[in-house]
Amino acid sequence: MRRVGSWAAVAAVAAALVSFPYWTAAWESSRYATTVLRDMLVFATFALSLNLLVGYAGMPSLGHAAYFGAGAYAAGIAGQRLATDQLHVTMGAAVLVAGVLALLIGALVVRSSGIFFLMLTLAFAQMVFAIAFQWTEVTGGSNGFPGVRRPSIGELDLSAPDRVFMLVATVFLLVTWLLWRISRSTYGRALIGVRENERRMRALGYDTTRLRLSAFVLAGALAGVAGALAAYSARFVSPSDAGIGTSVTAFVMVLIGGAGTLLGPILGAGIVLYIERVLSSSIPYAQTVLGLLFIGFVLLARQGIIGLARRALALATR
Amino acid sequence: MGGSSGGAALEVRDLRREFGGIKALDGVTFAVGPGERRGVIGPNGAGKTTLFNVLTGEVRPTGGSVRLRGEDVTGRPTWQLARRGLARMYQRNELFEPLETRANVALAIGARRGPYRPFTAAPAVELEAADLLLGQVGLAGRERTPARSLSHGERRQLELAVALAASPQVLLLDEPTAGMSPAETARIADLIASLDRTLTILIVEHDVDVVFRLADRISVLHEGRVIADGTAEEIRGDVRVNEVYLGKAVRA
Repeated sequence: MRRVGSWAAVAAVAAALVSFPYWTAAWESSRYATTVLRDMLVFATFALSLNLLVGYAGMPSLGHAAYFGAGAYAAGIAGQRLATDQLHVTMGAAVLVAGVLALLIGALVVRSSGIFFLMLTLAFAQMVFAIAFQWTEVTGGSNGFPGVRRPSIGELDLSAPDRVFMLVATVFLLVTWLLWRISRSTYGRALIGVRENERRMRALGYDTTRLRLSAFVLAGALAGVAGALAAYSARFVSPSDAGIGTSVTAFVMVLIGGAGTLLGPILGAGIVLYIERVLSSSIPYAQTVLGLLFIGFVLLARQGIIGLARRALALATR
Repeated sequence: MGGSSGGAALEVRDLRREFGGIKALDGVTFAVGPGERRGVIGPNGAGKTTLFNVLTGEVRPTGGSVRLRGEDVTGRPTWQLARRGLARMYQRNELFEPLETRANVALAIGARRGPYRPFTAAPAVELEAADLLLGQVGLAGRERTPARSLSHGERRQLELAVALAASPQVLLLDEPTAGMSPAETARIADLIASLDRTLTILIVEHDVDVVFRLADRISVLHEGRVIADGTAEEIRGDVRVNEVYLGKAVRA
């Protein structure tokens, strides 16, 4: 009974999220909240994909925007070159390009760990950024890639802002569900094993290099999904989407929210975008606030908001 | 019991490993038969740990060969050796610290089926088998305790359980009683003595009483070489062994 109850609660929250533009239409005529929430969900998807690496497999990638950007460009360019707005084509291109890119780079970097892994992922991401920035004929170079087509599914046109929101929310929920299943699976458990003690994992018969590579590719492909959602949302791809700033933002989201938890990156994405988008118009030093918040979490609460909440709960129930 | 018996569970020949001019292993040769319990003793720096690291594939030998159950496995990666039935109890525990003891053992049991099951949780049989094994090593009632919260003795017991969980044919024990109280030492020695006799065991141990009790035969390592090889009686009576190791160990 309790199981049924919690499933019903999850379904109700999911339905409320997807239908957000409709039940808020009366009081939210400017669609500002819808736009901000949409972007929060895009970045939450992106942060969730990074969390698979940072939080579960213990692979601190500082170049995850490469796959986000690759997905965004792939969705935009596929729509333009193939003259289609079909979701399965443009989203498929995003997943494929981001996944293959992650496979190529991952094959070169997953054997390293710690600070070396961090620097290598950053270096390769900077190469991807340089390509996006300079390959003007394809990507639009420094001007970015404008006019990304919003998708359709068959005859169903998703180009209206409210429908884009519904698409983003639905994909976000699917990715969350996928990662929830993975986190509880044998595969997720093995990734945690690699994070906690790779030497022991090898001694038990796990090919940890392959495990790490599989996580890298999966996380890259999911970042590509988030990138496609970002391109549909903004109808524009900027080379900075593949740049270090975007990588750092996702990293901050994961750490503030709580690495290695499912809810953490989602909360982190919400908080960071709230500060950047909403708070920044009312207080002058929003970026500084964000920086201080980040430093505070790194120094005092490595487990992020979820870690703090768990500690508070443990104290309260003691 | 000869050096080149075709049916050896583990056989090393002329094994060499140098670290910048220092010969940690300087041509080690021995063979361990199926089900045999072989002790490896020797003073500090004799090359015992390097030998284990080479046997598990964590360190590449600079020369010589390793055969595991008849197959030449020299230079193979650690995980492949594990798949071929080799397990190791580390001297310094290699555990999954924040995970429950049961999850530590279940990860070892699950290695056989492989990790690529992204939608299925650990099957209940794995957890049951894990709990059973924890009971065998004396950790009943501690199934839900995180590894990091165990006492030192309990952590050694868990380390042994994790090594056993992969159902190895050849088990390397690197100082199983290190840092243990006499009572804990006796318990873990009993436990090792009670293991299935088909299991081949190579045991490095500083506590010579434990080695003489558990081992069928003993190899003595000194400066990267096997200087003696024989039964407990033969080793006790060996003049050279007493000179370099046992004399001191017994007096100490």
